[in-house]
Amino acid sequence: MSDVFGISVSALQAFQNAINVTSNNVANASTPGYDRETVNLTEAVPQSNGAATIGAGVVVSGINRAFSQAAANQLNTSQSSLGQLNALQNYSNQIDNLFGTTLGGLSTALQSFYSAFSDVANNPTSTASRQALIGQAQSVASSFQNASGELNSLNTDVNSRITADVTQINSIAKAISALNGQIVTGTAQDGGQPPNELLDQRDQLVSNLSQLVGISTTTDPNGALNVFVGNGQPLVLQGQTTALTTVANQFNATQLEISNTASSAVISNNITSGDLGGLLAARAQVINPALNQLGQVATALSRTVNSQQAQGLDLSGNLGANIFAVTAPLATGSSRNTDAVTASVSVSPTGLGALTANDYVLSFVGGTPKLTNTSDGTSVTPAGAGTVSSPYTAAGIAIVLSGTPANGDQFLVQPTASAAAGLKVVLSNPSQIAAAGAIKTAAAGTNTGAAGISAGTVLDSTNSNLLTPVTITFANPPSSFSVNGGPAVAFASGGNINVNGWQVQINGAPAAGDTFTVSGNAGGTGDNRNALAAANQQNVGVLQNGTTSITGGISGLITGLGSQAQQINTAQTAQSAVNAQALSSVQSTSGVNLDEEAASLLQWQQAYQAAARALVIGNSLFTTLISAVNQG
Amino acid sequence: MRVTQGLNQTQFLASINALESGINQGQNQMSSGLQFTTASQNPTAAGTVNNYNQALAQSRQYGTNATSAQTNLSTEDNALSQVQSQLQALRTLALEANSGTLTNSNRSAIATQAVQIQNSLLALANTQNGNGEYIFGGFASQAQPFTLSAAGATYNGDQGQRQVQIAAGQTVADGDNGDTVFNQIKTGNGTFTVAPNALNSGSGIVGATTVSNPAAYDGGTYAIAFAAAGAYTVTEGATVVATGSYTDGGTIAFNGVQVTLSGQPANGDSFSLAPSTNQSVFASVQNLVSALQSGVTSASSSTALNNSINAAINNIDQALTQSSNVRAMVGGRLNSITTQQSVATASQTQLQQSISTLQGLDFAKAITTLDQQNTTLSAALQAFNLTQGLSLFKFL
Repeated sequence: MSDVFGISVSALQAFQNAINVTSNNVANASTPGYDRETVNLTEAVPQSNGAATIGAGVVVSGINRAFSQAAANQLNTSQSSLGQLNALQNYSNQIDNLFGTTLGGLSTALQSFYSAFSDVANNPTSTASRQALIGQAQSVASSFQNASGELNSLNTDVNSRITADVTQINSIAKAISALNGQIVTGTAQDGGQPPNELLDQRDQLVSNLSQLVGISTTTDPNGALNVFVGNGQPLVLQGQTTALTTVANQFNATQLEISNTASSAVISNNITSGDLGGLLAARAQVINPALNQLGQVATALSRTVNSQQAQGLDLSGNLGANIFAVTAPLATGSSRNTDAVTASVSVSPTGLGALTANDYVLSFVGGTPKLTNTSDGTSVTPAGAGTVSSPYTAAGIAIVLSGTPANGDQFLVQPTASAAAGLKVVLSNPSQIAAAGAIKTAAAGTNTGAAGISAGTVLDSTNSNLLTPVTITFANPPSSFSVNGGPAVAFASGGNINVNGWQVQINGAPAAGDTFTVSGNAGGTGDNRNALAAANQQNVGVLQNGTTSITGGISGLITGLGSQAQQINTAQTAQSAVNAQALSSVQSTSGVNLDEEAASLLQWQQAYQAAARALVIGNSLFTTLISAVNQG
Repeated sequence: MRVTQGLNQTQFLASINALESGINQGQNQMSSGLQFTTASQNPTAAGTVNNYNQALAQSRQYGTNATSAQTNLSTEDNALSQVQSQLQALRTLALEANSGTLTNSNRSAIATQAVQIQNSLLALANTQNGNGEYIFGGFASQAQPFTLSAAGATYNGDQGQRQVQIAAGQTVADGDNGDTVFNQIKTGNGTFTVAPNALNSGSGIVGATTVSNPAAYDGGTYAIAFAAAGAYTVTEGATVVATGSYTDGGTIAFNGVQVTLSGQPANGDSFSLAPSTNQSVFASVQNLVSALQSGVTSASSSTALNNSINAAINNIDQALTQSSNVRAMVGGRLNSITTQQSVATASQTQLQQSISTLQGLDFAKAITTLDQQNTTLSAALQAFNLTQGLSLFKFL
């Protein structure tokens, strides 16, 4: 008879628990990281009366957490990839928006600059058009500076976000290790029943961590979770954490790298996903390459404009001075080098075509230099000896070392990284623009033959006799000529005559005694040959082995940055879909469906009512029995 | 699949975000009129549009260059046309002075007029353009190219000729140097000159001279010496080239050249035939002026004057031919500029069309897309609203 009370009470308790669990589900329907819980009901162990076994009621054997480790792992991996792409997208979109379709006006400024050269060619004596050219040159320089300034500020932003991420990763790691301790203790105390709330919290922290950095996890039998980052570097081992730190790049102190306090090795290369991986990738794949490419164009601009300028004469009759200056290429010794050898780099005189937008590492193993392209990993042994007279040459650059490097020394060579930032106009006097050709030619008025002399071109503007007057006199018969009364040279109509760094052609049939003179063009202020040549340079292929012009280089940069942004956007969209899928898979398992909980509530309520009714019936049975006994 | 309210809301927010960003892009397109405003929206087209924009700006710059060349060439053409009329006036004066009825004072008055023409020619040769550049100075365009001298004028410029870029790979000269226009002018008939010996005493006057057979003319220097009764001998150095007999108005021909004389050369008179040399137009005028001012005192000096005036007329004709030739070249350049301008206009239109095709917004399409996105968004919002009302708790 007492059974009905025991059974009913066990049911009332169990259903109350079940209602509590359901209410808890409803209460936490919107709690991040909450996993739906279900009550685990088991039959109570019955007492046998020898003939038949009657059940002894119900007991709550545990509260189950609806959690799928596989789904959670999938979501974490997907979140890491998405975090990486989000960070990448952030920077590529910023660049895309900043530079737009004209690379932040750079393209327009370049065009105006070359147009201004044309205007000078139209009016070489006009100070106004010369002044306008200098103005346009300044506008080009500041466009390059602005563009590289924007990119550099993105790099600064990357650094500060790296620092923030590392701080957050370390604090999450600490929290996970603390929870590990509580979970191990709690599980032991509850006789093997896992503390669901703590597990939820820990899984949520792991999920948050996966957005910051790609991780892998293992669970120990005692319930503790181990977390690894990168290539298996431990972050949390049971109750211990190994914090990440930021360290300066061995070559460039302004760029932060990730290190691990246990080994103090730089592990940046192993961190390829999560927000942190995205930041490192944005720097390596988006920002720095754009800076380098911009610098490549800036170097080409400065080089071509200055060398054309050097071939002409300014209004005072002097060979043209430089219009632009760029920062020299950078060569930085590693902070781990064991000696004080320094390297200096310059773009080879004819190296513009071979110049790339890549960075290189110059390393020494057993005294042999090796130049490794950091973007594709290919390496070459540079020619030369690294001395001033015989510099190491490769990829359009020349490297000179201050001494003999120790074994294992490394130098980061950045041919173009800082060129755009350092592009400036160094010519301020409009009369110093070399619009005129350096030499002029003339046929003597007394010539009786029918030959003419070409205007002449400068082959070597550094020849010290370039501007020295030269007379070409034809012998009798006029099949040969002499230069300044020197030895006879056979004459061929239209053939090249090269003297003192210039080249002219004499066409037609000269008569004996005819003379032609070539001299410096001082006073030829109305000449525009050099300005004309400078204006035409915008179409001349100088980069990529002479296949790409300066303006073409900018167009290429626009297309390149645009397609990169587009590609990242596409990848991000795809990864978002993958992530949504992973999220719905997790939610499908662990999420709280309120309708379901409402139904459960009803179910438990009814069960509770039935159990209570059973108790009442038991009571009335008991009362019936008592009254029967009393009446008897 | 089991769906939870949380997931439902998360997914709804994500899809609303995507729709709103699409609408935002549509709005940007509509307000800018551009299909893409950042390179990532169409990288290839962005690069191509940049190239086209460069080409367009360059083509416009070529247009500016062409206008500048046009201005300079028009200035030159103008100056040359005035040079021609001055030379014509001078030629008329010279012909007038050649008349035998004039007195020394008449000729002196003509000389004064010739000096004035010389001054006008000098001013024209020193013409400046709107930028203050001397258009006939060659590269030395800031120094006055011609200054008067006793023998005519000195040229201070050079033989430079400025080119202006009017199209990719096409340049056109925006002027000519004074050396070509005024200085390097062939004397005589352009091939050779015939000059009387200063000591001639007869009345032989050099008339028309021509090269009848260019292949036979060797560019040599010849002397035509007259003996009694019109017998003449042509020698080149010590070699006798031809001999013959001359009558008044007759033609002496040898080695591919023909020289017509008039009058009667005296015994011992001689004429020398030599290849043309270059002489400045100012020297030619100066020679004429000197001849006119020298005065006629005898029959032989009258013959000498006639010969000098004839030589001057020949030289003036050469100068006229030269300025016509230069004007013809200027005209040719102006023509090629005009042709190039129309070509450039066509190519600019083409470029603009290409840019507009690549970058310009198809408004009809954009509006339709925006409308679709709007409809989708409002439907999504409505659907969300409907599903949010569905909860079992409402019925408890």
